[in-house]
Amino acid sequence: MMAHRMKTRWLVTVATVAAVLAGTQAHGQQPPPGAGIQREKSVPKLESGKWTGKRLADGQPDVEGHWSNTIANHNNWTDPQGGVPGDPNPRATPKTQRSERAPSRVSDPPDGELPFQPWARAVQQEYLQYFHNPTKEQYVEPLARCAPAGVPKSFTWHGYEIRQFPGYVVFLFNSGTRVVHLDGKPHLPENIKLWNADSRGRWEGNTLIVDVTNNNAKARLARTGEFFSENARIEERYIFNSDGTRYNYVATITDPTVFTRPWTATIPARRFTLEDEPDGWHYEVALANQPAGKPPLIERYERICVENNGPFGNVAVLGAK
Amino acid sequence: MRSLMTARVAAVLVGGMLAVSLATAAPKIPRLKSGKPDFSGIWETTSAAEYDLEPHSGRADAPPSAGVIDGKTIPYLPAALEQKKKNFAARSTEDPRLKCWTLGTPRGIYYREPFQIFQRDRDLTLLFQFGHSVRTIHTNGTLHPEVTDNEFYLGDSRGRWEGDTLVVDVTDFNTETWLDRAGNFHGPKLHVVERWKFLDENTLEYRATLEDPEVFSRPWTLRVHLNRHREKDFQLIENYCFTLGYDKFYPVPQQGTHE
Repeated sequence: MMAHRMKTRWLVTVATVAAVLAGTQAHGQQPPPGAGIQREKSVPKLESGKWTGKRLADGQPDVEGHWSNTIANHNNWTDPQGGVPGDPNPRATPKTQRSERAPSRVSDPPDGELPFQPWARAVQQEYLQYFHNPTKEQYVEPLARCAPAGVPKSFTWHGYEIRQFPGYVVFLFNSGTRVVHLDGKPHLPENIKLWNADSRGRWEGNTLIVDVTNNNAKARLARTGEFFSENARIEERYIFNSDGTRYNYVATITDPTVFTRPWTATIPARRFTLEDEPDGWHYEVALANQPAGKPPLIERYERICVENNGPFGNVAVLGAK
Repeated sequence: MRSLMTARVAAVLVGGMLAVSLATAAPKIPRLKSGKPDFSGIWETTSAAEYDLEPHSGRADAPPSAGVIDGKTIPYLPAALEQKKKNFAARSTEDPRLKCWTLGTPRGIYYREPFQIFQRDRDLTLLFQFGHSVRTIHTNGTLHPEVTDNEFYLGDSRGRWEGDTLVVDVTDFNTETWLDRAGNFHGPKLHVVERWKFLDENTLEYRATLEDPEVFSRPWTLRVHLNRHREKDFQLIENYCFTLGYDKFYPVPQQGTHE
């Protein structure tokens, strides 16, 4: 009975996934507020230290699988559950006080604000001002045109899969794919600029430390328009708990051309497994078709954006006329 | 004198045995812990297959090539052959590659940009530099999805091992992809069977048998070699070429250029 129910549930999921892939449902369409993207209101404390969990054959901590952030999407960087200010949709206006919502993704400085230089603050405000009424092409978020969400926005945009291989950690995002090289090779020449940047990582205990350069810096951090420049250097620390159920993404961004000081971003994430119900946003997977008698196994279908870019992207792009 | 003779005899004997073992032994190839061949690495063909799978003289948009098809040409059904001719005539505007769309299976394999294979026991992850799209070949005994209306650019790939050859059954295609720049194409009922094997540790033979009862009169097979990139520090460089068209709208803001 249980097995039967489960199978039915999964078949529904598969059908939904197929509909999305067939373009009958908007890419990246958002469920209505409260439908489940915004789950937690706090960031758990995770300390760097020893890894006591499972390891892969090459010695890396085993963090393979499906993950998503626990707070909110990329609507708003500093008030993640606050929606995009100025949203003409009254349903998008938060019904709660700021103090009742999740904290800013800026964990340092302590006030939760990016330490923008005045000119850069003005640029961010201008983008936000036109976000809902993009009178110029530059106010349409590149993600709406299927550009990769980049570093670090990809961590707030849908769930994603981590696959690990000797010498590599690979992130399969909803929009874009990112390879972290663990073999110590030098960064690409600095004039090469990439949506997902160029990543060199190493494991220290439970923490994956990644040095990120070569960022084309076009993706912005959120719909609220925060940004850094091509000169940004990012040190990421992915701090995992040893039972492999959660990690915190803690990134220090240094860019003297835009900020008055380095600042730190924190994005909490959790693992999704067979125990979780696919929800079309954090967790978009299908149940593998197995010969009878095999235990259930989840798998990810291909993600192809620009070619299927029907409703979601086109709405935004057409709105930019 | 005698010891010299012995040494010569021994040398001839050893040499003969070596020759025999070289002729019969399988190539020394990288393997996973499980013993299966390990295709991990960055690969790219040196063939001209992607310009035109069929034999052709040199032309403005393609170097000459004797083709890569067993039996030389693709056995199109009459109506499909007409479509192919139309595609060929319109190739400078209609090739999906020009939009930087995902090239599909098998075209992505012999396109002239590198792709990387990452391999685990349960699957192979193929990451293509062109468009940076990802294909997963499952090698964990799972079957094609039960739902029959999936339409993938890269198809649904289920692999199994025949000795040291990876045999991949690929179905569930859409019709948005071509097979090359010359307008060779397929329909929604395309079924591809790939055979991947090492020729030596740095060279793969890739064979793909294509059948599509609505487009081809019989199954046919193409064959290319893939070469391992061994340059120092070589890596894929993401090529999201579909973003180039709007790149100009997103200059990174700089002090003094605002307003």
